[in-house]
Amino acid sequence: MTNSSKTKSEITTALSEEGLGQQPWWVEQWMELINSYRFKKRLERAWTYAREGNVTSIRFEGRRVHARVQGTGEDPYKVKLWLDVLNDEDWRYVLEALTQKARWSAQLLAGVMPSDIERAFAASGRRLFPFKLQEVRSECNCPDKANPCKHISAIYFLMGDRFSEDPFVLFQLRGRTRAKLLEDLAEQRREVLKDLAKEEEQKNDNSQESIIDDISIPLTHPAIADPSLWWQYEGNLNADLVVITPAMEGDTGLHSAGDLPLAEEPRFQEARQKFLHHLHQEGAKLAQQAMLQAMTDGE
Amino acid sequence: MSLLHATWLPAIRTPTSSGRPALLVWADAWRVASPTSPGDTPALHPFSLESKALRSWLIEKDLLPNDIIDATACLTLPSRSLKPRNTTKTVHEKSKAEELDKPNWTGLPLQAGEPVPKQCEWWPWQVQGLAVEPAAATAWLSKLPLSGRQPDLGDELRWWSHLQRWALSIIARGRWLPQVELSRGEGYPHRARWVPLLNREDDRRRLEELAAGLPLVATCALPWREPTGKRSNRTTRLRPEAMRAANPVASCRPRSGRLRVANLLEELVDAQLRKGFEPNTESLDPLLATWQEALGSESGVITLSDEEAARLATASNHWREGVAGTVAAARACLELFTPTENNDLWELRFALQAEADPTLKVPATKAWGAGSKLLQLGEVQVEHPGEVLLEGLGRALTVFEPIERGLDSATPNSMQITPAEAFVLVRTAASQLRDVGVGVELPQSLSGGLASRLGLAIKAELSKRSKGFTLGESLDWEWKLMIGGVSLTLHDLEQLAGKKSPLVHHKGAWIELRPNDLKNAELFCNANPEISLDDALRLTATEGESLMKLPVHRFEAGPRLQSVLEQYHQQKAPDPLPAPEGFNGQLRPYQERGLGWLAFLNRFDQGACLADDMGLGKTIQLLAFLQHLKIEKELKRPVLLIAPTSVLTNWKREALAFTPELQVCEHYGPKRPSTASKLKQSLKNIDLMLTSYGLMQRDSELLEAIDWQGIVIDEAQAIKNSNAKQSQATRDIAKTGKSNRFRIALTGTPVENRVSELWALMDFLNPNVLGEEDFFHQRYRLPIERYGDISSLKDLKARVSPFLLRRLKTDKAIISDLPEKVELSEWVGLSNEQQSLYQKTVEETLDAIARAPRGQKHGKILGLLTRLKQICNHPALALKEETVDKDFLIRSAKLQRLEEILEEVIESGDRALLFTQFAEWGHLLQIYLQKRWRFDVPFLYGSTTKTERQAMIDRFQEDPRGPQIFLLSLKAGGIGLNLTRANHVFHIDRWWNPAVENQATDRAYRIGQENRVMVHKFITSGSVEEKIDQMIKEKSRLADDIIGSGEDWLGSLGASELRELVTLGDN
Repeated sequence: MTNSSKTKSEITTALSEEGLGQQPWWVEQWMELINSYRFKKRLERAWTYAREGNVTSIRFEGRRVHARVQGTGEDPYKVKLWLDVLNDEDWRYVLEALTQKARWSAQLLAGVMPSDIERAFAASGRRLFPFKLQEVRSECNCPDKANPCKHISAIYFLMGDRFSEDPFVLFQLRGRTRAKLLEDLAEQRREVLKDLAKEEEQKNDNSQESIIDDISIPLTHPAIADPSLWWQYEGNLNADLVVITPAMEGDTGLHSAGDLPLAEEPRFQEARQKFLHHLHQEGAKLAQQAMLQAMTDGE
Repeated sequence: MSLLHATWLPAIRTPTSSGRPALLVWADAWRVASPTSPGDTPALHPFSLESKALRSWLIEKDLLPNDIIDATACLTLPSRSLKPRNTTKTVHEKSKAEELDKPNWTGLPLQAGEPVPKQCEWWPWQVQGLAVEPAAATAWLSKLPLSGRQPDLGDELRWWSHLQRWALSIIARGRWLPQVELSRGEGYPHRARWVPLLNREDDRRRLEELAAGLPLVATCALPWREPTGKRSNRTTRLRPEAMRAANPVASCRPRSGRLRVANLLEELVDAQLRKGFEPNTESLDPLLATWQEALGSESGVITLSDEEAARLATASNHWREGVAGTVAAARACLELFTPTENNDLWELRFALQAEADPTLKVPATKAWGAGSKLLQLGEVQVEHPGEVLLEGLGRALTVFEPIERGLDSATPNSMQITPAEAFVLVRTAASQLRDVGVGVELPQSLSGGLASRLGLAIKAELSKRSKGFTLGESLDWEWKLMIGGVSLTLHDLEQLAGKKSPLVHHKGAWIELRPNDLKNAELFCNANPEISLDDALRLTATEGESLMKLPVHRFEAGPRLQSVLEQYHQQKAPDPLPAPEGFNGQLRPYQERGLGWLAFLNRFDQGACLADDMGLGKTIQLLAFLQHLKIEKELKRPVLLIAPTSVLTNWKREALAFTPELQVCEHYGPKRPSTASKLKQSLKNIDLMLTSYGLMQRDSELLEAIDWQGIVIDEAQAIKNSNAKQSQATRDIAKTGKSNRFRIALTGTPVENRVSELWALMDFLNPNVLGEEDFFHQRYRLPIERYGDISSLKDLKARVSPFLLRRLKTDKAIISDLPEKVELSEWVGLSNEQQSLYQKTVEETLDAIARAPRGQKHGKILGLLTRLKQICNHPALALKEETVDKDFLIRSAKLQRLEEILEEVIESGDRALLFTQFAEWGHLLQIYLQKRWRFDVPFLYGSTTKTERQAMIDRFQEDPRGPQIFLLSLKAGGIGLNLTRANHVFHIDRWWNPAVENQATDRAYRIGQENRVMVHKFITSGSVEEKIDQMIKEKSRLADDIIGSGEDWLGSLGASELRELVTLGDN
């Protein structure tokens, strides 16, 4: 027991410098899933594999994950991972449930994974996240009979980071890409809104704003009525652009965007931090140059 | 004159790359062209400069960009339909041809500034120009002026320079993120891009502003594919079908600019960051290293497998989504409403708001109700309104968590929040929400604007005995504290502050009390200050003024104070003052108002600048003002008037004619008093002394010794250069003195638009208004001139406008009583050289004539008169010189005056015809004027060929940037021509017959003329020209003889009559 708890803590701290607390919840949940696995020794070896860069590629292809892991053999082993795909009927239930709460759609559209998304899946008796590691289907062409073998387990570890690159990967593995999901959601919402729209149209008759049926109606551009607009520009320089000012300390776009959600390449431990650090440095340098230039412009 | 343009090319093909974007720099110039017709591909733009000419022109202007290649593009331009010119076919042939060519359109592209025809079509035109690489383009755009109209730069260049300025600001503030952009098909590889983040409220507003102002010529290009190309060193030629397919006769449709402008901004930001970025790939993994390398490479092409690129694209996109969403026509908006009675909870309503106009809003119900259809918000169309609203709400959740509760249903419209949550929203979340691109509308009293700050409501009136004549006098006044539109007493304030709640309810409004405001209010109450008329003027001049750090929300002036304020701020025209007794003439209504205004400011001891347009009678108004003082017995000491030498004569003439009671003398010439005592003596009983700027400067010590009642400067632009001695001496003399001197400046130039010249003028008029020169330079001149800062300009105008009165001759509402044709006599003197030459000529020739045989007399007299008229124009003309020397200007008083008036004409963008009877003078003048203003001045005279003549006339009438001055000889240009674009006519020398002059005037003053025409007739006082003028005016016997009989009568002139005609009188 002592051994296992030690392994667990080692793995979790090694995985991410900032600790799990800063990871998106779905990455955390994934890591919990892995750590619930019973064979700690195997996990430990798999972690070494992952950390030492034996995993040479991970590709998300449709509903499957294809990976290559360099084992003891000459050629890397091919690993496949997949989840049970939800059928169309299940998805219909899920979509219906998702439409019930505006917040779910709102967050998904804004690129955020709702933390209680599982509740929408529960409506159809399904899950987005696998409940047990056994639900993650896998195949490896190594001679090891055990599943998951250490190659597969190595992929498990790296998947967590890859989830943080794109919260919609899970949906993809369940059978819906982001685009398709949003499209279906919109479709579903239209169904819900149809009745509402009818009511509105009746109320709407004499209000100033209107809803247009035909998307292709082109608006007449003012330049058609007044061709002199082809050349004319009466605008003045915006007052805020008279003096070009730098960002307040810690207020650049890089700061607000935060850590780059890109899975770390285990062999290059601090690459992501270095990359960001260099961007910050260069950004400050370029900002200086821009301000200097702005001061001499228009002279 | 050519006009420079810049149009973005989405993709050009060059030998080294395909599909790189570039900025096309091109120019057009007016010329005579026949209508053309597109064939299989768009027609060649007949006015565009071919690349060689363009290059040399740009080099001359020091505007040649780096990294350029010759390029052709296909621009969509508004075009004028015109029938082909040479239709000499027979009727039969014609109809046949019409059948064949039916779809063929012929016409010409419109040029900027050209009058727009009623029927306009849009056609593509092939335009040659120079394609500039994006990085070089940004450097080039940075060099362009940020403000002001330039005669040879198209308006859209200023738009471009503003966009580039914005790009610089984005870089300076670090509002960008690197991204990976996936290939959009062949020719567009995966690329690493620097993308601006447009989430912040101010950036979004800027996008709307620039999109609303986008001149479409900036984005009207389709790329052009050359018919010949090079493939592996072999020249290939496109087949006609391929040529047609590559360059179809197609136009781009003008569309809303938001997305386009965002893309252009991205191009500019990307180009600059890419250029300056130095990759450092040390200890980076291959993926990040490749990305970083590509971010610093010129093309941005990133060589990764499709999967790896897609992975980076997804991750970088997800990264960016955390900060900024996509650019849409509308955004989600949260509206906060205060609690209803007996209710603690505040209401937050969800709405959709147009980006272009935040006042256009619809409740969420409408957005849900629209389903998959378009929603029309005023003039804005919103696609997928429901999704736009949802995305915004999702974003709002990341900064203002309480919203979560409100989003539990499928189509939420509103929710309730607690007072604590409302305070968080007002205080911090509102601005954070705006920064993630969500609109927030707070109740008026909490909106954070000035109105929501604690301030003052003031009531004031002049004290009982006061007439409002001095600025320093105290007013009777009372004040109240005011916030969010409700007033409160100090007691109320203390009570509310005691509640310790940040948002408090008072008299039906919710207000936010800030610690700082409370402190200021306390300070104010303790000080209990007085306010003066001066304060009242300042507080009512512009919005947002404050008194002891407290903003003044309301200023109620009592009726008497109000009338003073209104006149002062010129909200009301000054009370007119009728022409004073003893004024020999009539004042037009606007001149009576001008007189009233001069008297009004004089009462306040404030300097006044009368800047009426030329020809509106500034001289008369000033003379009437002096006469008014005299009649009121207020003119106790002499007034000094300083003017350019060239107008002194005019002043004397006008004073004599209009105000004969005024005693006028001149401080001029070698016999002028040289000591203070002599000067004082000569000023006895004198009301007005005239002198020139030059002499004022030379005799400044002498002049300062006199206790002047006032100083008047005419042609006040003479002191514009604050460092010049002349300007300093003028300002000094206005300031020194035992008692106050009134200061009046007269000028016809649009003085309020020349910021750099305003300081010296105001320093002369009212030295404290604009502060020290250094301050003025930093506060106003730099921001306005270099950056076109409109808020500084507004502030400046508010400060100087009480002291400036400028009426335009085109303003028919104000000056309704001025005739459509105004004749002005320009009286001028003679330079020393002219004077001696004139006298010498007269003496020598009169003797010769007296001795001549009768048969030759007539010719000799004519010769003499001609020569004298020539001398009045310029000695060089009489001496048959053919070149223009460096003293050319000072040798002729008439030329000096002509130049002064032309300067005003050119400044105001007007156009003028200049008539002379001497072709040689025309040639000299042409050389001189071209050199002076560096533009073409056409000269039409007897030997001009018919074609040249037509070209000159067409250009003057049609070229949008054509010449402003047109020289014509009276004989060749006086009849038959239609030159209605001119609104000034100058008769530089006089002709005996007024009908000939009138005919010449009618070139401009005729059907088709839309403006008032000013006719300037130059008369050299005391000379033969004045005599001619007298004869014409008095319609004397002589004049009757002249008209109709040419110059024959001259032969019969008696010796004494002749002597009287030609002898230089005492001017």
